[in-house]
Amino acid sequence: MSTFHVLILVIVFVALLGLGVPIAFCIALSTLAAMILALGVEGAMTTMAQIIANTDSFVLLAIPFFILAGQIMNRGGIARRIIDFAKAIVGPLPGGLAFVNIVSAMLFGALSGSAVAAASAIGGVMSPHMDREGYERGYSAAVNITSSTTGLIIPPSNILIVYALVAEVSVGGLFVAGYVPGVIVGLSLMCVAGLIARQRRYPTTPRVPLRQTVRRFFAALPSLGLIVVVIGGIVGGVFTATEAAAVAVLYALVLALLYRELRFTHLPRILLDSATTTAVVMLLVATSMCMSWMLALERIPTEISEALLGLSENPVIVLILINLILLLVGVFMDITPAVLIFAPIFLPITDSLGIDRTHFGIVMILNLCIGLCTPPVGSVLFVGCGVGRVSITKVIRPMAPLYAAMIVALLLVTYVPGFSLWLPRLFGYSE
Amino acid sequence: MIAPPDRVLTRVDAAMRTARAIADKGIGTMLALLMGVAVLNVLWQVFTRFMLSDPSSFTEEAARYLLVWISVLGAGYAVGGGMHLAIDLLPSAVAGRRGAVVIMLLIDGCVVLFALAVLVIGGMKLVATTISQGETSPALGIRVGYVYIALPLAGAIMIFYAFLDALERLTSRGGDHKGGTDPPH
Repeated sequence: MSTFHVLILVIVFVALLGLGVPIAFCIALSTLAAMILALGVEGAMTTMAQIIANTDSFVLLAIPFFILAGQIMNRGGIARRIIDFAKAIVGPLPGGLAFVNIVSAMLFGALSGSAVAAASAIGGVMSPHMDREGYERGYSAAVNITSSTTGLIIPPSNILIVYALVAEVSVGGLFVAGYVPGVIVGLSLMCVAGLIARQRRYPTTPRVPLRQTVRRFFAALPSLGLIVVVIGGIVGGVFTATEAAAVAVLYALVLALLYRELRFTHLPRILLDSATTTAVVMLLVATSMCMSWMLALERIPTEISEALLGLSENPVIVLILINLILLLVGVFMDITPAVLIFAPIFLPITDSLGIDRTHFGIVMILNLCIGLCTPPVGSVLFVGCGVGRVSITKVIRPMAPLYAAMIVALLLVTYVPGFSLWLPRLFGYSE
Repeated sequence: MIAPPDRVLTRVDAAMRTARAIADKGIGTMLALLMGVAVLNVLWQVFTRFMLSDPSSFTEEAARYLLVWISVLGAGYAVGGGMHLAIDLLPSAVAGRRGAVVIMLLIDGCVVLFALAVLVIGGMKLVATTISQGETSPALGIRVGYVYIALPLAGAIMIFYAFLDALERLTSRGGDHKGGTDPPH
């Protein structure tokens, strides 16, 4: 019986996805179909409405606030100051502007919680710049897209909040766990970008005099101060993640108004844009919660867990299998539903193998970040191609070595738990 | 299909555009307001805790209810803007306008099905049972059932936009209308 319900769920999901139905509706309708078989029409409709109405956790409210803060930074001249600073530091190195793009994306990721915001804010400034310096457009976009995903690993990060909710781990601990792995991804991308720049003789930017570097550092300092307020506030126990996000909105707003790049009249538009972006994410969250509930009802997590552990009880092999499954999932699914649906499936397995939930969260997010850069479902890929004014087909080939760099980073983070757990231990989040 | 005369089509077209503009404006303003209130609400929570050292009792609950409203109303609004993420390989690959229109109509149908079954019918049942149980929220003291009215309301908004989209696809022929089949942004 239970396999039949799940089979119906999968078939309906794939059919609707192929037809071009928006993903949240594919998830909802396939769950509804399976739930009707299990609970009857009326039971299915009310149960789903109940689950959707219950996605009202206070923690999730951090998501709209980080989205809003990101949108304000996007327009408020904050991205440009960060790029100027990154240029002074890494521009003269062999990777040139590709390095500048990667470091700026990492810094922007440390300010806003979203990879899409980083891809559009940094890519929007960098891509015309790289064009002029003779960088191939597809390559520039590929660098921008892959490095923007560090925004999801380096805190604050909306997807880490979603994971913290399902895995029942501390948001603060998960946040600090992301720093080292995020930097590892950035460094792996820089290795590849450096090699490519040397091979193709891409120019570096002229060395900036020390006084100028210091000046640019101070210009970027107020923006970077946001990191101290948000992460320092959360780790120091001053704010909850949601409160820190609201403070980040206020901080970014004051800064953007001081820089005179934003006027109060722009606010309604920005508020509306972030409300709709939020709603798109939240509909994915709510419908994925329904699907996850349905899968739990059919005991799917237990069955998959038994099947996987039946293959091997060696953590090294199980983690390889989980990573392979997640890479495949990431290609076809957006990161939010993937986390909400697959974390409850894999967590019983990793728990029984004694893998730390915080560590596994970072592995899972880093893995799914690769899927964000691949078609057919890759939100960062789409945005990156949009701001880079280049077609998806032209980006895939230059992206290949960068995918490889991300996979190397993934292996490192998977098999060296210390990279994820060193900082949380330092701040007393885990044993 | 018998094509109605152009004059009628133009009037239908104009009426649809007005309806869409009014809905966009109304729902958009409401969403922007809710979002602004949500931020101020949590900032107030921080302020009362640190400055007045007398933490506000209602902010956390208000924040959760605001999130529900922003999420579901915004999801309805996003249907109108064509903003929900989809893999549109098939509709754009199908040769011929007619085939593409049929697929787009099927997609509209899926949106309506979800909105009707889960948000409108399921949501109304949820509202009715919560109100009849008399459940009130601990801090704000409002009936929780009223909060859930957001669900059927959002379902109605989704159905409204899906119908408008479908009508536009059916009435615009051969791309001679500026309304076209592209979702407006």
